[in-house]
Amino acid sequence: MGPHDVGGERAESINLENQSMNYWEKFSNGLRIAISAKKIIVLDELRLASESLGDDYFKMEYFERNSMAMISCVIKKQLISEKELKDKIPIIKKKFDIPIIDLPNKESINHLHDNHEAPHQKKDFVEDEYGEGPPDYFLRMMAIAELLSEKNIISMNDIHTKIDQFDNEFPSRGIKVVAKAWQDDQFREYLIDNAKDAIASIGIKLETFADIICMPQSSSIHHMVVCTLCSCYPRTLLGMPPTWYKSRSYRSRVVHEPRSVLAEFGTVLAQDVEIRVHDSNADMRYLILPVRPEGTEKWGEEKLTSIISRDHLVGVRIPKI
Amino acid sequence: MMNKKKEITKPKYKNFDKIKIDDRTSEGHCRTPAYIRGKIGIIERYCGNFPNPEQIAHQVPEPKLIPLYRCRFYQKDIWPNYSGEKSDTLELEIYEHWIN
Repeated sequence: MGPHDVGGERAESINLENQSMNYWEKFSNGLRIAISAKKIIVLDELRLASESLGDDYFKMEYFERNSMAMISCVIKKQLISEKELKDKIPIIKKKFDIPIIDLPNKESINHLHDNHEAPHQKKDFVEDEYGEGPPDYFLRMMAIAELLSEKNIISMNDIHTKIDQFDNEFPSRGIKVVAKAWQDDQFREYLIDNAKDAIASIGIKLETFADIICMPQSSSIHHMVVCTLCSCYPRTLLGMPPTWYKSRSYRSRVVHEPRSVLAEFGTVLAQDVEIRVHDSNADMRYLILPVRPEGTEKWGEEKLTSIISRDHLVGVRIPKI
Repeated sequence: MMNKKKEITKPKYKNFDKIKIDDRTSEGHCRTPAYIRGKIGIIERYCGNFPNPEQIAHQVPEPKLIPLYRCRFYQKDIWPNYSGEKSDTLELEIYEHWIN
């Protein structure tokens, strides 16, 4: 097996800081989801391309790895040629080149430099919001996106829509589903029986090919989710997986020491509670349905929603009041 | 119930059947984690038929739709030194050609 198969390895404690994503990472994710939604490249092709990076797999961070995998698939499928990509990259790079232009009235600023002529020679520098140029992989990815758009395979708008949905829409969907299930027993039953249809029935379009399975927490069984082979996660239901979900520590340890991992999240369960780990390794995605805390019986939807977080829906924490 | 895809191969196993995951090594793309190979568990449910990931990853034309199951294992049967409780379990998805 490749470098991605980490279940059962020993690893350090989990870094629970969830790092926010920069624009390059959001774009990479938006492009990937836009491509998958149109079935241009199937998930297993992307997974294989990532696994085939060899030693580079360990040298690249998550989004760079995913982007390089995407680029290699697009070329392998001959959607874009190497030459088209090579010719496009300088055009993309140019967009970030901001020339320094001499100020209109040199005399008026010379005194700032003790009457020495300041060296206002024309020199291009690369600028972005973070004060650095975009990473190399982003230029390639942006080139791929524009080429696919020129060929009418996807549109730039598809990507921007996905970026917007990941920022503003997807992260609240799972929370809304759980709040509904807490208040409506019939919906709860439907959700446990057939989550994909139940979620669609309340107007949420997941646009995913994977099936969703809902696992209800109970006083006797505690469910939690991991993907030991990559980072499978119901993204259009919960938003982006947090950094720790994608970390090697979480992925390798949950399957063989779930109780220690839960303790790191501050979740300590009685010995007689069965811990059931779900390794989301193939075509199913999981939604954990937490138990509605006691004392919330009279609460309305808004107040219930305020105590539900993503961590509860992955099973690493339990909602409390 | 879970899947609406056209069924091509009828599932060979039913819920609660005792199964063993094949212990072979694999080349190329595969979704059977190393830690579960050779381990004994039960069928939790049949999930429907899905295209064989080992074929679609390599762009094999007309990949076979094969039964996918969720399988359940006791943690103590996977890890000889499991430190949690005896009742703790693990479930994951296994394609039929990996099940004995």
